Amino acid sequence: MQGGATTESRLARAIIMTVGLGFLALFLVMPLVVVFGEALKEGLAAYRDAIVEPDALAAIRLTLLVAAIAVPLNIVFGIAAAWAITKFDFPGKSLLITFIDLPFSVSPVVSGLIYVLLFGAQGWLGPWLEQHDIQIIFAVPGMVLATVFVTFPFVARELIPLMSEQGRDDEEAALSLGASGWQAFWHATLPNVRWGLLYGVLLCNARAMGEFGAVSVVSGHIRGETNTMPLHVEILYNEYNFVAAFAVASLLALLALVTLVLKSFLEWRYDYHGKGSGH
Amino acid sequence: MSIRLDNIGKRFGGFSALGDIDLEVEPREFLALLGPSGSGKTTLLRIVAGLEFPDSGRVFYDGEDITDLKVADRGVGFVFQHYALFRHMTVADNVAFGLTVRRRRDRPPRAEIRDRVQKLLDLVQLGQLGARYPAQLSGGQRQRVALARALAVDPKLLLLDEPFGALDARVRKDLRRWLRELHDRMGLTSIFVTHDQDEALELADRIVVMDHGVIEQVDTPQKIYDEPASAFVFDFVGESNQLPVTVSGGRARLFDRPLALPEGTATPGEGPARLFFRPHDAEIVADEAGALPITVTLARPNSGTIRVEGRLDALERLIEIDAPMGDAPQVGARIAVRPTRARLYAGTGAE
Repeated sequence: MQGGATTESRLARAIIMTVGLGFLALFLVMPLVVVFGEALKEGLAAYRDAIVEPDALAAIRLTLLVAAIAVPLNIVFGIAAAWAITKFDFPGKSLLITFIDLPFSVSPVVSGLIYVLLFGAQGWLGPWLEQHDIQIIFAVPGMVLATVFVTFPFVARELIPLMSEQGRDDEEAALSLGASGWQAFWHATLPNVRWGLLYGVLLCNARAMGEFGAVSVVSGHIRGETNTMPLHVEILYNEYNFVAAFAVASLLALLALVTLVLKSFLEWRYDYHGKGSGH
Repeated sequence: MSIRLDNIGKRFGGFSALGDIDLEVEPREFLALLGPSGSGKTTLLRIVAGLEFPDSGRVFYDGEDITDLKVADRGVGFVFQHYALFRHMTVADNVAFGLTVRRRRDRPPRAEIRDRVQKLLDLVQLGQLGARYPAQLSGGQRQRVALARALAVDPKLLLLDEPFGALDARVRKDLRRWLRELHDRMGLTSIFVTHDQDEALELADRIVVMDHGVIEQVDTPQKIYDEPASAFVFDFVGESNQLPVTVSGGRARLFDRPLALPEGTATPGEGPARLFFRPHDAEIVADEAGALPITVTLARPNSGTIRVEGRLDALERLIEIDAPMGDAPQVGARIAVRPTRARLYAGTGAE
């Protein structure tokens, strides 16, 4: 049988697939197995104890709190930025597009240091904040700020290509029928981008809960107070408390797995809807 | 509703999209904005609608200056080129949209909205399809949903951007006739944008021919076709033959050959000019003197006549004429052609 131009020989295909799958197993599946293996090494009881321990619970609560503030903020910022960029022409537009990518291109540690520099005791606003008894660095507000910064691009990046592809026709149609700007957004824009938005929110949330670098810089690592889950894992690990460290880490791994499943589902919906519309 | 445009100008960056447009539209008129792409016709329509704002000039509805009024407050019906139906809503919800977004005190009760939507769907002959989604409809059906949606807010003015552009030829022809009937029956004033001259000639009461952001001619279809005001209009509307000539002493010459022009052909001033005539405004003559000698390259039937194509000897240029059936010359034959109706426009067309 004559193969097409892109059909490789059987051997080449086997080699490529082995390399691909081997890489996947070595770098993705194995760590996952190790995390759960180590976490459950001393049985379910030890696993349970590590998670319900007060400091661990505090870390879980704080992680959820930070995400619960950062994600909604970034939904609003992301939609606003995408809306402004795709529906209006204004000076400085390309600059804004570049800045949206900044958190991706800058090291998370630097992102954290920016806030220390700004709000820390030796920072620009430090003295003023101290006078008014407002603590941002080494406290929850700083961690929220750092997380917001790091996770800012997810929603905006997801929406910008989608919204620019869809153009302004639908909004204009809504407006011409007497809708207010808000109604046009709610009834025409948002439904068109809802799957993309959900996808962005999902990734944003995963990163918000898993962020280590930036949060680590501004947190101060106060046990039970300013430790998120990733920070808590690090502390436990450095204390040679491996079972507890991996137990908490397994929760983060679970979050990743759930995110992946939801992401695949959204991609499937997204595609399905994108193609069926016949616009 | 009557519309008056006063000195409308619009620029996009350094590009002048519209320059000093003056136009009046009579109540109940069906007006076509005709021109090639980039002629500014869509921009003009969007300015009338309030989707775009002019840099200079004013827009009047019924004598009232509404230049600064937003599209949402103008109460016009706008049909978009690609329909812009809301994909996530049923056909009925799409049509109801203009009513459901009204403030509570202006909004009709739900039952009344339902009745009106049903009436509109019946009007556009889609009475059974209210529960469908736009993706489940054909192009022609979507177009009619878009129209019903625009009519739901009871507009006096209906604006349509390339309304038949995305439809196949058969559907287009049916929809045209149907739209014209609807316009007359509902007593609307309508303006539509098109690049299709047949559409404009068949449908409109008057045609506005535009090019490069200015109006070339505003007239009835008959006058646009018979008395094009400029070389551009002659060229753009209908089929035409075009020859570079020189006018001197009230006579036209093609190179050194004198041309016998039909009686009553107005001649522009001395100098280079362009001669235009339509294929059906020419005859084959026996005498070459003052006529155009051509060598026939093609002869084929063309709705009731024979379309003859020939190469003009002096020029690498094809001439097309319509000869009566049964009297067609053979391919390769040398014949002489004389325009029976023609127009001359000053200039070479290169400026």
